Amino acid sequence: MLHRLRFIPGRILQAIPVAFGVSILVFLMSHLLPGNPAVAILGNHATPAAVASLSKHLGLDQPLWDQYWLFLVHLFQGDLGQSLTYGQPVVSLVFSAVPVTLSLVLYALVLSLIISVPLAGWAATRPGSVRDLGVRAYTLLGQGMPQFWVGIMLILLLAVRWGIFPVSGYGQSFTDHLYYLFLPALTLAISMCPTIIRSLRSSTIQALGSEYVATARSKGIGGASLFRVHVLRNAAIPTVSIVGVNLGYLVGGSLVIEKVFAIPGLGSLMINAIFARDFPTIQGVALFVAIFVVIVGIVTDIVYTLLDPRVDLTNTEAAR
Amino acid sequence: MKSKVRLSAAAALAAVPLILTGCGSGTGNASGANSGSGNAASGSSKPVIGGNLVIDRSNDAVSMNKTTTFDNSSIFVMEQIMEPLFTVSNDGKSVKPWLATGYTVSADKLTYTIKLRSGVKFSNGQPMTAADVKFSIDQDTKTGSDGWGYINAAIKQVTAVDPATVQISLKYPWAPLIADLSLFSNGIIPNNYAGKSAAAFYNAPIGTGPFEWSSWQKGQSIKLVKNPHYWQPGKPYLDSVEFDVVPDANTRQLQLQGKQADIDTYPDFSQFSTLKNTPGIVATAFPSTEVDYLAMNELKAPFKDPHVRQAISYAIDRNALVKAVLFGIGKPANSLLMPGLPYYDGTGGETYDLAKAKQALAESSVPHGFTTTMEISSGNANQATVAQIVQSELKPLGITVNIQQLDPTAAHAASEGTGYEMDYSAWTMDIPDPDEWTSFAVDPSGGARSAFTSYTNASVISLNKQAEQQTDPTKRAELYSQLQQQTSKDAFLAYLFYPPYLYATTNNVHGFFVTPLGNFHLEDVYKSS
Repeated sequence: MLHRLRFIPGRILQAIPVAFGVSILVFLMSHLLPGNPAVAILGNHATPAAVASLSKHLGLDQPLWDQYWLFLVHLFQGDLGQSLTYGQPVVSLVFSAVPVTLSLVLYALVLSLIISVPLAGWAATRPGSVRDLGVRAYTLLGQGMPQFWVGIMLILLLAVRWGIFPVSGYGQSFTDHLYYLFLPALTLAISMCPTIIRSLRSSTIQALGSEYVATARSKGIGGASLFRVHVLRNAAIPTVSIVGVNLGYLVGGSLVIEKVFAIPGLGSLMINAIFARDFPTIQGVALFVAIFVVIVGIVTDIVYTLLDPRVDLTNTEAAR
Repeated sequence: MKSKVRLSAAAALAAVPLILTGCGSGTGNASGANSGSGNAASGSSKPVIGGNLVIDRSNDAVSMNKTTTFDNSSIFVMEQIMEPLFTVSNDGKSVKPWLATGYTVSADKLTYTIKLRSGVKFSNGQPMTAADVKFSIDQDTKTGSDGWGYINAAIKQVTAVDPATVQISLKYPWAPLIADLSLFSNGIIPNNYAGKSAAAFYNAPIGTGPFEWSSWQKGQSIKLVKNPHYWQPGKPYLDSVEFDVVPDANTRQLQLQGKQADIDTYPDFSQFSTLKNTPGIVATAFPSTEVDYLAMNELKAPFKDPHVRQAISYAIDRNALVKAVLFGIGKPANSLLMPGLPYYDGTGGETYDLAKAKQALAESSVPHGFTTTMEISSGNANQATVAQIVQSELKPLGITVNIQQLDPTAAHAASEGTGYEMDYSAWTMDIPDPDEWTSFAVDPSGGARSAFTSYTNASVISLNKQAEQQTDPTKRAELYSQLQQQTSKDAFLAYLFYPPYLYATTNNVHGFFVTPLGNFHLEDVYKSS
């Protein structure tokens, strides 16, 4: 089994050109935007003289390629530079936002699985029945409802009306985080579940109709252990890649939810950095998200390989 | 402070502070303007001691360095920690002694002798002396045009005469001096940064204010705790204050309703009447010193002609704008100065008159109209509404306005360039003296090319210079009155409206008051249970 995981080091090496490409793209794109950080920092009082002086101070008067070269040199020293707005190392800003977004996304993933797996299995065991129709109706609804609206509705009901959860924020301690992040994670989960349920439901129906399940049944295996060992494991394979894609998307796309729930994550950091033209921070966040997406891809492949002994990514790569 | 324009950058919804209808021209206590909230002066009941006050804002602070920081989110926090010698009065029209007890001026108007309040201590227990004052003002002056130092340009030297007396000598007579000293950038900090480096000091600043620094989770929250050495006996009432970053206006409102927050900074104008009618919430419109205007770039052909600018000024129905954009909570603008400022005149501004507009355009170089572009910030609903209304109002004159939306930082950069034609902009004051704004707006040598319009009128420039040096208030008022008349006649800016500062609090919050400069004194605030 282990030899099938030999593709991992190669995949990790592939991440380097990806990250490099992303950094050039983001660097050029952010510098293409009109407007300059000095103007953003000085606000109303930005006289041309003050802007020029501050730009010089921030090193923005250097040629673009010199600025990029400097960024690369620092990067190899593990230094992403100083935030132009906060005057603080970008690394520390990113590292304080990463756990927030990651815990939100993972929390949402856990909630989605808790909701989706039983619902999909429940619906798939009686296709066409009332409960199946009910679950399918939810998948339609769940996809149709905008996230920010679901978020506000949850806040209004569970936080403002009943006072069970805080309206928004992040809290101080770990238990605080679990408590504060519940509503935003649920909001994300509600919109993530429909995709998972749909895929899992149809692959479960397929698996239930397969010959190996019939064989297992004929051997007297039934109930939960049949579902767990024979059905779910096979049905989960397509779902794993869907979840992987969604996770990468969520890290970049959690912005709306972070805004509605006032969560100080990567999304808020990125959007503020873009508005303030805080180039080093934009770079840092983009780089991190790129690396994260690559890692999720690798993890997805690993889970895939472990779930299905027939998948051998080493061979596929050798065949290329 | 008041990079209100910039504030709206990060969250277009931060939009604008405001002024209450009908409050503007009165010079009395500004609290008369608020919606009967009892918020400003809930005098009768006894203040409750203790509690944590949570203030929601759309943006985080940037830095606590009082000499080089320009955004309100930072300034409103640092003002609770570091206090100036003088502070603005509640109506915004004058300054009152704060860490000072008073001052005398020499006959030649070149030397100010300031007496310091006795018994004032920093939050570390160290007493405040003249050496601290000299250091604080000198550090600000040194920043020059990289910070707020330009505000102190008239100061020749600050001398600590004895521990309780400071003397400031000037290069030339300078009427706004005491107002300048009330600016937060001239706030008092310990001599030599209490032995730290400037950077280390501003990471955890020390001052004489009601609250002292506790912690900052960037992008999330700043916490201040009660200063045990505060000089006003019995104050502050609160144990701590927390400034939370909540970018979304709806979320701020929900936090207020769920009592997770106590104060919502700048709710949207569209939310204001709902908030006012929500039980348990008090919504207040405090008179501000904000003026919103259209800048017209005189480097672009048609706008060089004063007739064109006058025609545009006459064609704008400001009452309609106040109704549509500010939901009636605000005043049409009729002067370069704002009603919350000393020397506001408010008699000369153009009002809506389509016939006069047509006549002015007929006398201009482009009698049949022209095509132009107006730049606004994207994602800012208020600016978009203004632009659309102005677009339709200029149509009857044959002026076609194309609206160009730029993202806030790009829009800001464009408005300070030489390439734009018409641009939506706004200004708010930092000191209770018109000079900060008039020098920026009408004097091309003020560094900003006359609010970036390249407007040049020798007589206006001279009026502004005279007013700077005239220390007799009556004569100064006359000079500023002439300046307002002339700038309105030249119509170099099309004034739009004066929006108030909107705030909403829970009804547990008492004593919360915002001056026309946007400052608030949290030592006066307490929370009932």
